[in-house]
Amino acid sequence: MLEAVQIVIGGVLQGCIFALLAIGFSLVHRVASAINLAQGAFCIVAALLTATLEQSYDVPVMAGGLVAVAVTGCLAAGLGAAVFVPGLRRLPTSSMFILTAGLLTLLEGGSLVIWGSQSTTLSSFSGERPIHLAGLLVPTQGLWLVGLTLVVTLVQGVLLARTRAGRAFRACAENPLAASLMGIGVGRMQLLSFVLAAAVGALGGVVMGPITSFQFDTGRMYTIFGFIAAVIGGIGSPLGAVAGGLFLGIATQLAAAYVSSLFSNALALVLLLAVLVWRPSGLFSAGPTRRQDVRDEPRVQRAVIRIGRRQGPVLAVIGAVLLFAGVPWALQGSGLMSSAIITLIVFVSVLGLDVLMGYAGQVSLGQAGFMAIGGYTASVLAVQFHLPPLLGTLVGLAISLLAATVMALGTMRLRGLYLAIATLAFGLLVDSLTVGLESLTGGPSGLVGIPPFSVAGFRFDTPLRAYYLMAFVLAVALGLLAGGMRGSFGRALMAIRADPLAAAALGINVPRHKLAVFCISAGLGSISGSLYAFYFQFLSPEMVGTPLSLQMLAMLVVGGEGTLFGPLFGVALLTLLPTLFQPLAQFKTLGSGLLLIVFSLYLPSGIFGVLSGDLRLLGGRLIAPLRVLP
Amino acid sequence: MTPPALEAIGLSKRFGGVLAVSDISFVVPAHSITALIGPNGAGKTTLFNLITNLTPPTTGTVRCFGELLAGLAPEAIAARGLIRAFQTARVFPGMTVLENVLTGAHTRIRSPAWRQMLWSGAARREEQGLRRRAETLLDLAGLLKLADRPASALPMGAQKLLEIIRALMAAPRLLLLDEPAAGLNDTETAELADMLRAIQDGGITIVVVEHNMSLVMGVADQVIVLDAGSVIATGTPAEIGRNPVVIEAYMGREDA
Ligand SMILES: Nc1ncnc2c1ncn2[C@@H]1O[C@H](COP(=O)(O)OP(=O)(O)OP(=O)(O)O)[C@@H](O)[C@H]1O
Ligand SMILES: [Mg+2]
Repeated sequence: MLEAVQIVIGGVLQGCIFALLAIGFSLVHRVASAINLAQGAFCIVAALLTATLEQSYDVPVMAGGLVAVAVTGCLAAGLGAAVFVPGLRRLPTSSMFILTAGLLTLLEGGSLVIWGSQSTTLSSFSGERPIHLAGLLVPTQGLWLVGLTLVVTLVQGVLLARTRAGRAFRACAENPLAASLMGIGVGRMQLLSFVLAAAVGALGGVVMGPITSFQFDTGRMYTIFGFIAAVIGGIGSPLGAVAGGLFLGIATQLAAAYVSSLFSNALALVLLLAVLVWRPSGLFSAGPTRRQDVRDEPRVQRAVIRIGRRQGPVLAVIGAVLLFAGVPWALQGSGLMSSAIITLIVFVSVLGLDVLMGYAGQVSLGQAGFMAIGGYTASVLAVQFHLPPLLGTLVGLAISLLAATVMALGTMRLRGLYLAIATLAFGLLVDSLTVGLESLTGGPSGLVGIPPFSVAGFRFDTPLRAYYLMAFVLAVALGLLAGGMRGSFGRALMAIRADPLAAAALGINVPRHKLAVFCISAGLGSISGSLYAFYFQFLSPEMVGTPLSLQMLAMLVVGGEGTLFGPLFGVALLTLLPTLFQPLAQFKTLGSGLLLIVFSLYLPSGIFGVLSGDLRLLGGRLIAPLRVLP
Repeated sequence: MTPPALEAIGLSKRFGGVLAVSDISFVVPAHSITALIGPNGAGKTTLFNLITNLTPPTTGTVRCFGELLAGLAPEAIAARGLIRAFQTARVFPGMTVLENVLTGAHTRIRSPAWRQMLWSGAARREEQGLRRRAETLLDLAGLLKLADRPASALPMGAQKLLEIIRALMAAPRLLLLDEPAAGLNDTETAELADMLRAIQDGGITIVVVEHNMSLVMGVADQVIVLDAGSVIATGTPAEIGRNPVVIEAYMGREDA
């Protein structure tokens, strides 16, 4: 009994930080009706900064913490003004997700460059000795955390209800157009909410610092758990956020204590899906969910890039010659061969993402999760049960499709935002499984002894053979998708992206198409993951973890989404650059975050769009096939 | 005897405290053009949304060619040949004009997606047939030379026209048009009237919401007048033109 109470206390402390993050999510969502995935990263930036001040400059932890929160607030103000608010003005909700995923990647990448990857902790504000309360141990820092949560809850309640800024916030949430007509600076309010949320997160990160350890990428766990708490509580409801946070904290701590810590992540995901399916407005909020059609999405004018019908075959032949003869001839024996192979493998996975996001407009932040399922299933079956690689790949594919179906069915009827967050939670769950199921996966140090891919005794064990295997798989995938996308299937997907309501009114079964496309994307991810493992003959959790998901997002956006071929530029760029400039490898995450932000804000049609636009300006006949229509 | 194209039975819709549509029943005979008129906020668009189940009705049901539509999803209703165009044109941005029109044919496509992926000959022939049909329609509407432009680059009037063509691509049995003449000048309106008659001659039933009275009087076989969510009069254009209740409710308010 005492033990259970002790665990609940631990859960309350965890819950407090979730609650603080959820309050931030709610605030930003109310004002800007967007989800800021970078939220958790601000906690960690502030905590890491405090640690540096404390450990290297002997600044007392509380003073250092205040400085860190102020600095983080300024950082948030800068990012908000330069990225978040401009994004709100010109991007639809789904692209805002990508943009804030870019912010998250940027902050993680920056932290990695500055602070490295080792984890650290802070010293307690008021001594390390816990208080004994009726036989229970309560760390004094816990009291600080609970106190902070109470204060923040009260202050924001008063702020929203009583002050002019609070009323302006509410006006922005209910009707931004009317609010701006009433003279409320909507952009300023959006910025203010973004900075306030970041500051609350930063405070939470600093106060949480002494009772947990953290490193550059802990932020995304906070983002995901904070968001799940917000959804459980009912997003947009401040008290719901607190209740949701505490509920989630206690539930996951109990699960971790009595089952296993792996189970606690799974429980969080299951809770999220359950709430989304049965009570999409949240457990603790009475209000109805906001309907999709109430707030009009900004209509983005995307450049339409099409390959002409007559030129298509010509380009296909050129592409095939390059793929099957040119590249292997040019690169054979050089160190770049391996990069070329990796490019092809990752491109297969990004193709899936392109169909899902570029065509159907659904955001996935967990594509690497399917690569992990495909990779680990096939290699565990090959290593431990000596199953042929092809068979293992198919089993992995089946499991991936099953997982994709469950997730898609659960989130289908809801807005894009929920599918996106479910995919992120899914990716993190897979991450924790690959690390945690040590007896199967080899844990953090990876799985060794995976055989190369082979079919009927023929082993693809030289670089050239591996290259041709990948080229073949890619050519088949591209051929199938190009056929699908140029017909009614592709049109239906694009129509769903553009206007789901009008698409349904024309007889397009929106849920069924979303399911199909999610399965296609998961399937390609899974196959790519299996081939990845067989190529390296080794697989570790970090090769197919959430950072890769975010990186593939960057590859897609940078290359040019919705074009099938365009993402190749992004994949090649982000695969080759770190290889060519080895010393810059530690800037990889930072760089992909930066590229993601710049491209989604300023060059939404990607490198492919820029190239084809410029080529068209040159006006040559050879290059006329890529028509960009303004 | 063919069943009526559309039969609304006691349709109501409540938005919070507002009864936007209140207990509306009417019948649209097959192959007719029925005009739905009424002052702003009368509930015309809401009525269309109820018929196509984009918003589920609070009470009441709809029959289309004798078949009960209650509880069917919008895509299932569209698959039964009931297609609508929206009040503010909802063309698909990010797609070309031609692709927009082809999307209209979605329910008529026979080759499943996997056949398209395999580049099957049957699927390509079907696609070519549809493409020819789409180009013919675009040509009739004078939009063929814009076929490869992004739909969102068209002016508003052309977008509304595009939406009608897209609806026609679905080979509908019943077409619901929401204010197709809004924003058109007199010549364009006259062309639209011709187009509506041609569509009717093709065996398609039309229900059109319209404020332009000359268009209504010119093409409608039957006029239904809505005010504050209720039907206040039904009849031929001539009858409606001299109905004192209508003049009081509709014209009276226009003057004010
Ligand atoms: N989604 C909604 N939520 C709340 N009220 C609504 C909604 N849609 C329509 N209404 C209300 O229902 C009433 C009827 O609106 P509707 O758009 O059907 O009118 P209308 O006859 O089409 O007018 P108009 O000629 O201006 O297009 C209006 O009072 C409107 O405010
Ligand atoms: Mg209307």
